[in-house]
This record gives sequence, structure tokens and C-alpha cells, in this order.
Amino acid sequence: MRILIIEDDALVADGMRRGLSQSGFAVDHVSSAELAEAALTQENFDLLLVDLGLPGADGFDLIKRLRRGGNSAPVLIVTARDALADRVSALDLGADDYLVKPFALPELAARCRALIRRSKSSSNSDLSIGPLRLDISRRETKVHARPVDLTRREWAILECLALHAGQVVAKDRLQQAISSWEDGITTNAVEVYISRLRGKLGDDVAIRTVRGLGYRLDETVA
Amino acid sequence: MNRAVNGQTHPGGATGSMTIRRRLLLILLAPLTLLLSLGIALDYAAGTAPLHAAFDQALANEALAVAAQLHPRADGRIEFNLSPQAIEVLRSDKYDSVYFLVLGANGEFFGGDDGLPVVETGAANPAFRDAQFAGHAIRAATYRAATPAGPVAVTVAETTHKRQHAQRRMLTSIILSDMVQLAGILALVWLGVRLGLRPLLSLRAQIDKRSARDLAPLDETDVPGEVRPLTRALNRLFATVHASAQGQLQFLANAAHQLRTPLAGLQTQIELLIQDPAAAQLHAPLKGMLDGTRRLGHTANQLLALARAEPTAAAAADFHALDLRELAEEAVAGQFDLALRRHIDLGVEAAGARILGSRWLLRELLSNLVDNALAYTPANGRVTVRCGPSDAAVPQAFIEVEDDGPGIAPEQRSRVVERFYRAPGTVGDGCGLGLAIVEEIARAHRAELKIGAGAHGVGARVRVTFPAAAEQ
Repeated sequence: MRILIIEDDALVADGMRRGLSQSGFAVDHVSSAELAEAALTQENFDLLLVDLGLPGADGFDLIKRLRRGGNSAPVLIVTARDALADRVSALDLGADDYLVKPFALPELAARCRALIRRSKSSSNSDLSIGPLRLDISRRETKVHARPVDLTRREWAILECLALHAGQVVAKDRLQQAISSWEDGITTNAVEVYISRLRGKLGDDVAIRTVRGLGYRLDETVA
Repeated sequence: MNRAVNGQTHPGGATGSMTIRRRLLLILLAPLTLLLSLGIALDYAAGTAPLHAAFDQALANEALAVAAQLHPRADGRIEFNLSPQAIEVLRSDKYDSVYFLVLGANGEFFGGDDGLPVVETGAANPAFRDAQFAGHAIRAATYRAATPAGPVAVTVAETTHKRQHAQRRMLTSIILSDMVQLAGILALVWLGVRLGLRPLLSLRAQIDKRSARDLAPLDETDVPGEVRPLTRALNRLFATVHASAQGQLQFLANAAHQLRTPLAGLQTQIELLIQDPAAAQLHAPLKGMLDGTRRLGHTANQLLALARAEPTAAAAADFHALDLRELAEEAVAGQFDLALRRHIDLGVEAAGARILGSRWLLRELLSNLVDNALAYTPANGRVTVRCGPSDAAVPQAFIEVEDDGPGIAPEQRSRVVERFYRAPGTVGDGCGLGLAIVEEIARAHRAELKIGAGAHGVGARVRVTFPAAAEQ
């Protein structure tokens, strides 16, 4: 997994580079948008970490140019600016997520993993969240390499959660995922399937209940 | 004690001083009415004079006709001979009684109604006067006919019914026509004042329907020249406030960048050192440094948020129609990790509630409320974010965060919104700005902040009540 960091502050860049390397990513760093564009013409990256306040062309310009040029690598904005206008315009321009400085390294690594997983899920049929492994094309589920047998509805719910691992998925959305098979399904049905999934997947797979909102599949149980 | 933030004040219309319209109408209408009343009097006086003259002339003609019946005799005496038919013709009148009297030069009676007042003739012959006869008001005309036996006074008189009737009719028609004129003029004045003031009224409407936060310049196209200096001054003021708010926001954005970037570098470097086996013996002090750096970062964030919520900067914040439900769900999803770490059941009970607000500021408000609740609620506690339309006479929407922690003592409730204030016995590493930020943001939204106890008197419940977004 290759990550390109575009950050002009040397201390921050160094910390991010070393932290992400320790988490198992291959990391490169450039200090300006111009250098980033040059690097991107020669190499492919799985994820770009973009600071908004760059010297010369800023992060907005970079993202705009990349997307216009057909580069679809996921972009995580890491910035000290947090005002709404920044957030909206960056996401509108095609950034995928947003992290405000200062941040904790585990949080940064988790966001990077989630973004790369999401971008791969369309091309790659393997999803891996902690001990959980999903083969999308074959509809196979494994926990710690142990196969788990799921019904079609249980699979649909787990797939939906896995595709958005680390994010809260609204109950309504899970309901929609299974309603194509069964008319008039209630949100109570979702609760039933979640509880069956928890039973089948075991304690090492964390499906959290967010009261009043939905469910979230996490990488780690802790 | 509950703390109410910023009651709405909206002075409606002009009270105390008189409106321009009323002033103009008063200035114009009172003199106009007086002038037209005077006109009626003049018209009446001018109209009745020829009427009188015409009636007098008819009376004089009758006197002359009677005088034509005076015949001088050969002996120099005067013979007056009026046939009964002629007298009947003379006396016949549809409305009035007609009297006559013919007296000789020495007062000798020739005929007619004895005792009828005779008018002294001077330069005018015939002469006229008003008098009383047989209990009636009369008008008398006396003609002195020169005869060989001296002047003979022929007096003809009639009661005044005809005259009064004609006068009354004239007065009525003058009053009627002048009233129509007066009404027309009053209507024109009223309409003119109304039309003339229309640009002012539309300016007032323009100002009235602006939101209190709107700093866009007023449209000056239809503003009359007299008022333009006023709107210009207002627009200059709007522009100044807007520019200073923009400047403040820009300053804060730069400050945020300059503060957070080195903090981010520091924090990641310390985190890496902590993981480094070579620095194992420094683990404890490094952990302390990391905590300190995090606290510093938190305080920097809180100070920036507070500064951005203050009126000077909040004036430039973008206010949009938004749904509190989205914000509530977003806040819960965003702080779910923190709740997990603290073993607190964080949930949401949200109904749609639209308000006009700044998404960034409200996000900050909610994250502070949830942060506070999570910080003061012990493990296995419960924190709930609620929102929805509130049941009040005016449309309102509320958002609240309730926990089942130790709560905030009633005597502390007004103090916890003070900056850097931390209630006695407070644990945790908060900087004491959370509720101050919440209060400031509530104020920017003309919302009311209420701090109370949770359900069944357990825990704390902080509720912010917003005026609902106007129906579009």
C-alpha cells in the first residue's frame, strides 16, 4: 500500500511518514503541490494525504487538477484548517475524508486503511477488517481463517457494514439492503439479523450498536 | 437557576414619534379643510347677492306697476284706481304673501294695507329694506312717484319664504359641490402622500424582512434622494462590520494553522518516541509530554472555537437552513469512539427540526456538549443526544444532551458557562471553555441555553432552544 504525503511542514511530514511506515504502509513525501504532480506522473499511489495550506498551489488546486486529470486515488485531507467552508469545498472537489491537526497516529492509520479499503472494494473482491475476511464475489466469510456460514440476508447486512467499516451505517440503510428479498421488513428484523451475525462471527468481530442510529463494524474489538 | 441567553428584541414600527405619513396628513389636511370651509362661505355670499337683487328687482317692478295706476286729475289731485282683478293679480304669489300701500305726499291713504312699513328713499329710488309686518318677516320696496301733487309713496312688500327657500337651495348645492371637491382633494392628498412615501415604505420592508445577521448592502435603486445618505451610512456600517468579521475569521484561520501545525508535529513525534524501544526508560515522562501536548491542542481548539463564535467573527459565518437531526446523528457518530473508550452508551433520539444556523458553529456546540457529558459521566453511564421541534406557541426547535452522571448543582448552573470556570470537585482535563463556547454559539443563533437536571432529577441535561427556520 503506497501513500504519498503532500505536506510542507517537515516535522509533521516526518511524524506521519514514520508513523504510517510502522503501520505497514510504503510512504513517500513531497512538500508542494507541484512536486506531488510530478511524482504522480511517474508512480501510482493508493492514497494521497494532502495538506490544504501548501506554498504555491494549495491543496484545493492540487485536488481539483488531479481529479480533472482523471486521477481517482483516494484523498485524505490532513489540515490545520477546520472551518466548514474548507470542509465542504474540499469534499466537493473530490477529497474523500478530512482529518484536522493535531491528530493521533492510530487515528491517522485507521483512516488511511479505511479509505484504501473502500477504494479497493470496487475492484478487489476481498475485504479484510481485523480478523474478518469477506470474499465478495464468492460470498464467503471467514473469521481467523475459520469459514462462517451466513444466510443471504445476514451476508447482505455484513457486506454493507464491511464496505463501510469504521463508519456508522444507519439502520434504515441496512433495512434497504435486505428489503429486496422480503417486503414489509421492519427495522426489528435488522436487529434480529445483527444479533444472529454477532453469534455466528464470535466476540472477535466487533459490530457496535449506536443507539438510535445504526451499527458500526470495527477493525478492533478494544 | 436557568440562564437565558439573549432574549429577542425587535422594536416594531414607530412608537413615540409620529410617522411621516401622519405628520404630512396633519399638516396638509387641517389647513385644507379650513380653506375649503372658507370657500363655502365665500361662494355662498357671492351667490346670494344677485339672487337678492333679482328678487328686489321683481318687487320694484311691482311697485312701478302699481305707481302706473296713479292718475293726476284736472284739479291737481291724484286719483288712484286699482281694480279688484288687478289687486288679485298683484297679490297672487305661489309662496309669499304680497302687501302694498300707497300714501300721498302728506301721508294721505290712497289704498292698500294700512300700517305697512314704508322705506325712506334717499338717493336710491326705489329703495328696499327688511322689516316686520303682521308678525312676518318681510322685504319692502318703496317707489316715490313724482306727481303734480307731490311725491306719492308706493310700497310693495312680500314675505321672505321664496328668498329663504332659494337661499337654502343655493347653500345646499354649494355645500354639496364643495364637499365633493373637499373629498376629492383629501383623497388626492392621501393618495399623494401614500405614493410619495412608497419608496420609504419599501425600504422599511426591505430592512424589516432582513435577518438580523444579514450584512448585505441595502438595495438603493428606489431609495429617494432625501433618504439616500441614511442608507449609504447603513451600508457603510454593514460593510465595515462584515469586513471586520471577515478579517477576524481570516485571522483565526491563520492562527489555527500556525498553532495546530507545530502541535501536530510535536504530538506525532512524541507518539513515535513512546513506541520506540530505544526510549523505553523515558516512557513515563514521554507519556506526560503527550498528555500535555494533547491538552494544549484541545485548549487551542477551544480558544479558536470560542473566538469564532464571538459576535465579531460569527457575523461572517454562513447561516443556512439545516436539520438538527443530521447534526445530532453526526455528533453521535463522531464521538462514538470516545464513548466506547469510556464505556458509555452514547445514543441519539432525533426528530427532524429545521433551523437557520451555521453548520460549523453548531457542530462545535454539539461536540462540546457531548464531550462534557462523556467527560463527567462514569463508566456504564448513558448519554443521549435529542432534538426535535419543541412544543411552544412560536415554532421552535431544540437540541439537548442528557447524561446520568453527577449532574450540575443548581447553584453552579449559571457559573459553568463562564470562561475557564470549573466547578469545584471537577475531574478530567477540560479547560473550562466548553459551556462558554456553547453559550456563545447559542447567542449567535438567538437560541436559549438551559442547564438543568436529567430525567428523574439524575444527571445533567443541557438544552438549546432555537427559533425555528421560517417556512420558505
